[in-house]
Amino acid sequence: MKLKTKLTLFNAISKLVIAILFVLLVPVLIKKISRSYVDNNLIKQKSKFLQIVKTQGIKNYIPDGETYGSYYLPLKEEYLTIEDDTIPGHLIDTIKNEKRLVERDTIEYRILSHTFVVNKKKYLLEIGKSVATLDETSTPLQSIAFAVLIGMILLTILADQLYTNRVLKPLGQIIKSKLIGQKFPNFGSYKEVKTSTSDFQYLDISIHKMIETIEAAFQKEREFISNASHELMTPISILQSKIENMFEQEDIADELKVRLLEMQKILNRLKSITKTLLLISQIENEQFLKEDKISIIELLQEVYDEISVRLSEKNIAFDILIPQDVILININKFLIFNLFFNLVNNAIKYNKVDGEIVITTENENGSLIVNITDNGIGISTEDMPFIFNRFKKFRQSMQQDSFGLGLPIVKSIATFHRIKIEVDSVKDLGSNFRLIFPADIIGSVS
Amino acid sequence: MNVLIIEDEEALAHELEIFLTNHNYITEICYTGQSASEKIAISLYDFILIDLGLPDYDGLDLLKEAKKNNPDAACIILTARAEIYDRVRGLDLGADDYLPKPFSLLELQSRMQAIMRRKFGLKQSIVELGEFIINLTDRTINCHDAVVSTITKKEFDLIAYLILHKNRTLTRTQLSEHIWGSVINDDYDSNYIDAHIKNIRKKLNVYAAPDWLETVRGLGYKIKMNI
Repeated sequence: MKLKTKLTLFNAISKLVIAILFVLLVPVLIKKISRSYVDNNLIKQKSKFLQIVKTQGIKNYIPDGETYGSYYLPLKEEYLTIEDDTIPGHLIDTIKNEKRLVERDTIEYRILSHTFVVNKKKYLLEIGKSVATLDETSTPLQSIAFAVLIGMILLTILADQLYTNRVLKPLGQIIKSKLIGQKFPNFGSYKEVKTSTSDFQYLDISIHKMIETIEAAFQKEREFISNASHELMTPISILQSKIENMFEQEDIADELKVRLLEMQKILNRLKSITKTLLLISQIENEQFLKEDKISIIELLQEVYDEISVRLSEKNIAFDILIPQDVILININKFLIFNLFFNLVNNAIKYNKVDGEIVITTENENGSLIVNITDNGIGISTEDMPFIFNRFKKFRQSMQQDSFGLGLPIVKSIATFHRIKIEVDSVKDLGSNFRLIFPADIIGSVS
Repeated sequence: MNVLIIEDEEALAHELEIFLTNHNYITEICYTGQSASEKIAISLYDFILIDLGLPDYDGLDLLKEAKKNNPDAACIILTARAEIYDRVRGLDLGADDYLPKPFSLLELQSRMQAIMRRKFGLKQSIVELGEFIINLTDRTINCHDAVVSTITKKEFDLIAYLILHKNRTLTRTQLSEHIWGSVINDDYDSNYIDAHIKNIRKKLNVYAAPDWLETVRGLGYKIKMNI
């Protein structure tokens, strides 16, 4: 998952959690707040009342000596009663929710009950406020709070989104320009990613430095292979000429000639390895032009001409099932020839007597796929990841006179032409090499 | 035939000299580009073999000088720098052939003979071998009045190479280098030459016995011919 997606997701989830918590807490909180507000109010009224009673006497409320007084507001939302408290030793001072019957209506009140003594007479004071009015005020309060909350959450999500987008943009650029789409090991020139975030600056410069180091190492390796193989050519050439001249000399015994022949064979092996390494380094240094145009069937015919003797040695059937009109353009004929030659040669080498090699094509999304399928000895699963490695030798290739550069050549040539290779193989049943040619090197007959 | 060998590797120059002298060429050696430049200006040669990697001189400059002062000479470039650019440049500047090191001396000889045939417009080169008549120009083989049409291109290449180096044993290595030289592959010891020779014998035997194609036990093959 992308960092941006993760951040966005986290933002949304955290805000949702906050909203849920708020929704759960608000009614409780509001109830609590309004209750304490009401309670305070009731206590204040009580103090005021007691104050009045203290200064003006109880007569103000119970003028005619009656021991009862009650006052309701018209909507019955508040009331105040004073009555005699006849229960001896009963002194209370509480605030509770209780129901009262007022003019045939049962109404729930928040009631402050307080006993007080005036002129040695005990009275019970009750001040009540209806609970319904409490809820009446808290409901709109809650909805306003929700609305404000939702608004703020949406606003912060938007702001977060915009800001993370902005802050993470350089990271996206670094990934896009430095990591994705880089054709390893051919990196383009360094382009600084503009950012004020020091971490990203550091990341950018570090990646750049690492790329430079890799590039330098690659360059060194290529130069080394190129130089080494060039340097080896002259001494090999001298040795080869010497052996050839000695071989021609008439006064040399046959026994010596056989040994010269062995030397020649070994020298030839050295020569092949050096030439192949040089070829790979030349391909990697892009020293070949890609200007040729050729029909695949003609090319495969040429491969067949070169290789027919090897096919007949093992009595292997070779079927080219390719339409006439498949043309490759902008390729290097010499290299593509060698690509097919090596693949077919391998299909012969790692095949059984009376085996079969079939070459077919298919089209897929504009690209052309050439399948080279054999029913030979196959490649084991553990060997599969290494088949394109240089000088990698496998048990079955040890029996063949090979030095482990056939498939590396194929790989280099394919990479040079942007041809993808996929390999399927089942041990003892055969292998299938799929060459996927990109659309721009497939031409039409004209 | 006069050959000028321009090669700074003394050992290689020496081997070239031995080989070419054995094959009746008259040779001169220059180890430096400077001395070669002087020689080219003074004397005329039939062949000039130029090593491109001279320490004191650009081999391509020597080629230009040779083309100017020795217009009739055939120039063959020998180089360890088998780069495409050099090859194209060399042939553009008028080199007659290009041999990347390491090359076989036999290959050099066959290239020189090919150039001679081309330059001096030799008429059809026809060779008579036993009951067969082999036309190297048209690449045909006849036996009495019958045309041997079953021989493949590769097989003819082998026969032609053996004829070119007649009465000499050619090793399997030398033969496979000649016919598969341009193919870069993974095998360092191909015994496919034997299969080719077997096929050639089988195909020719239909017409007449090719006694002239000899197997030299343990060494290779040769074509025996009376000169």
